[in-house]
Amino acid sequence: MADKNWFASLFILMILFFAGEIFSAEVKINCVDCHTSAKYKGMYKESVHGNIGCKGCHEDIKSLDRHIIKKEKPSLISCGKCHGEIDKAYRNSFHYLYEDFRCYDCHYEIHTLRPEKGQFKITVAKNCTKCHTNEEYALSGHGAAVMKGNKDSATCSDCHGLHDTKAYHTSTERYILEAREFYNRTCKSCHSDREMMIRNGLSPDTVKYYEETYHGKVQDLGYPTSVAGCADCHTTHNILAKRHPDSAINPKNLTKNCEKCHHGIHPRFAEYKAHPDYKDRKRYPLLYVSFLSMVVLLLVTFAFYWTHTLLWWRKVYWEKHKLEQLGIKPESPFAHEENIQEIRRFSIKDRVMHVLLIISFFGLVITGFPIKYHNVPWAKVIIKIMGGAHNAGLYHRLAAIILIGLFLVAIWRSIRFLFPKGFCKKDRKGWLDRLFGPDSLMPNKQDWRQFKAMVMWFFNKGEYPKFDRWTYWEKFDFLAVFWGMFIIGGSGITLWAPEMASYVYPGWVFNIASIFHSEEALLAALFIFTVHFFNTHLIPTKFPMDPIIFTGSYKLEELWRSRTLEYERLVKEKRLDEFKIKHPGLALKIASSTFGYVSLLIGIIFTFIILWTFFFG
Amino acid sequence: MLRIITVLTVILYFIISCTAYQQPPLTEQASIEPAQAVALKKEKGAIFVDTMSYLECMDHRIPDSLCIAFEEFEEKSKAILKNKGQHIIFYCESDECLRAGQTYQKAKILGYKNIFILNGGLPAWKKAGYEVESIHRIKRAPVVSIKPHMLERLIKEKKDLFILDARSEDLYRSGHIDGAVNIPLYELSKRLKDIPKNRSVLVIDENGKKSFLVCCWLINNGVKDVIRFYGGMKYKEAKERKKG
Repeated sequence: MADKNWFASLFILMILFFAGEIFSAEVKINCVDCHTSAKYKGMYKESVHGNIGCKGCHEDIKSLDRHIIKKEKPSLISCGKCHGEIDKAYRNSFHYLYEDFRCYDCHYEIHTLRPEKGQFKITVAKNCTKCHTNEEYALSGHGAAVMKGNKDSATCSDCHGLHDTKAYHTSTERYILEAREFYNRTCKSCHSDREMMIRNGLSPDTVKYYEETYHGKVQDLGYPTSVAGCADCHTTHNILAKRHPDSAINPKNLTKNCEKCHHGIHPRFAEYKAHPDYKDRKRYPLLYVSFLSMVVLLLVTFAFYWTHTLLWWRKVYWEKHKLEQLGIKPESPFAHEENIQEIRRFSIKDRVMHVLLIISFFGLVITGFPIKYHNVPWAKVIIKIMGGAHNAGLYHRLAAIILIGLFLVAIWRSIRFLFPKGFCKKDRKGWLDRLFGPDSLMPNKQDWRQFKAMVMWFFNKGEYPKFDRWTYWEKFDFLAVFWGMFIIGGSGITLWAPEMASYVYPGWVFNIASIFHSEEALLAALFIFTVHFFNTHLIPTKFPMDPIIFTGSYKLEELWRSRTLEYERLVKEKRLDEFKIKHPGLALKIASSTFGYVSLLIGIIFTFIILWTFFFG
Repeated sequence: MLRIITVLTVILYFIISCTAYQQPPLTEQASIEPAQAVALKKEKGAIFVDTMSYLECMDHRIPDSLCIAFEEFEEKSKAILKNKGQHIIFYCESDECLRAGQTYQKAKILGYKNIFILNGGLPAWKKAGYEVESIHRIKRAPVVSIKPHMLERLIKEKKDLFILDARSEDLYRSGHIDGAVNIPLYELSKRLKDIPKNRSVLVIDENGKKSFLVCCWLINNGVKDVIRFYGGMKYKEAKERKKG
């Protein structure tokens, strides 16, 4: 009886086991049994999702019986369950947010999706152009290269994103700033990839050179809407090689291209080089020579003047130390009352002009140097404080107008100095004597003698030279500004109105103007902030500041000591009394000190910033 | 003299202050964020109203929304939204769309008291992580598009071209392509019979954002050759302006 029961139990268990097996086998085969089309039966298994199985996606079918009688229908599947990262990106993409596209709208038949096998870029281009018909892209350099199998060339997704297409990718009109920033960055990411560019026979430094131009610098500062970005010249989808007649950068089309932003230009405007290599002697000989000549000018000027300054400082400091050590006070030939007499050195006109010069110069430096050194953080901060590149440009031009005005006044005053009585023949008499006379800023033989004497004094080989009204370094300061005005002012005006300038000279002159303007600015700023500041204020005998340019006068003793020849001349000519004035008032002294110290401080800060950026930026 | 100048300055200051002060726009007061809209629905039983066309609304909408196109609001609201105290949230398909605001103004005039606008429309709703529902989804399909400069060539090539201008009647009247037939988008679902299936159909909208869906709908409804006008009339007009 027990055996019978045991057999019966075994029999029932076997039936249950096989029934379970049969049932489960039925579930597994049921999908393709009913869904008999080729895409589910054969093609699905070979697809990229073939190893997941039907229930991998259609997991919400709980009861096959109910599904068979259509009581339980599969809901829309969530691709994001497996493709989480893509899903996350896609939910913020333009196609989902604005067009309500779903995965299957682009990937179409999910059951037959095959692996790409190295044809990814072509597949993307084909797929996107199903909706975004774009003949221009298909014919472009990028499009043609992609279709030929070039894996470096840009397919749609390389520029517009694949699953993360943002709204600003689609509208350069509505999202001007974002779109321009994005597309400039995107172009640059490939075109600054050295290996990729060399592999494809393109210049690997184009982006670097573009960023050295005005367009590139302003764009890099964060104001891409103000200047030409990549697409403004090269267009967007129809980018073609330069030699192609339809290319936007083909010489035949270039003027039209530039005219989109620069209205009313002469055709020679288009000779401007958009991203030249100044160091390439063969391709850009004139730019190379210009750049080299400016570098030499800077090196020679600073090598000379910094050495001069250093030797001067050493001599004065050593002498001062010696006097302090021995407790000797400098001798004075004047009695106390005479000694405190103020002597006028600068007229009101001179002083006002210098104050305006300082304001305009700082205005130009503060607004211009952030463009020159666009890729360092302080540049962005300064431009932001000024309210953007556009405002900075306005202030720069305003300061330039003041400087040009001062330049013209200086020329007029120089002419009046030479011809004080008028320009008739009889009135012109003696102008040559005035030009090389003691009150003139024109260098003469005496300056050369004084320079030699000064050098001997630096090396303890002679006495401190006797100077007249103007020393040789003061004459250099004045004439350097004059000379600089032609270079920096001329190039500045050219760059200010390049459209009009194109009627005078060709576009490549703008490149030279950029080099001159930039390097001359560096020369001027560093010269003023180091050499001029030292000669005038930081020399140990005047440290920390000499306010004479603001107060206009100094002590008689100072005249006698620093400009002995002038003192002797005035005494001989009995003209000293003409220059005697009252001690400057308290208000003038406070104003002079405040303005002077602030100017000095700004200059010194800028010197450190410039030098730091030059060497480490 | 100085006193007069001071008094005048003070008076001028007050005049400028008074004129400079403006009531915030009505739409700003009424616009609510998606999370606030969800809370309003939960707490006050607010109803979402999709102000787009019926086609668009049925394609995708905020779950349980009513499909009342802006143009049909006056007529449909009488039957569907009888309670003037009902909390209603209007929305449209993008933050650029004016339809929700326009419907809001209409509703205000009609006496609805608790009305709001969903700030940012459907994209904002989706960005906030909320789902949408599709009642009759229009299956997306590959659509050929042409740009304005290709229009002339297309008209020459396709002699049987049917130009469907899906913009509003007002916009159509303000200027349209020669020979274009105006069927505003909100009427399109009822006027399929007016569109010839055996001809090439060029679909033009206001700014290129709706023509794709219309093209897909036409393809799904048996129109074989459908072409989309890239960028819509705005793009064409902008190009013409640029060209001078």
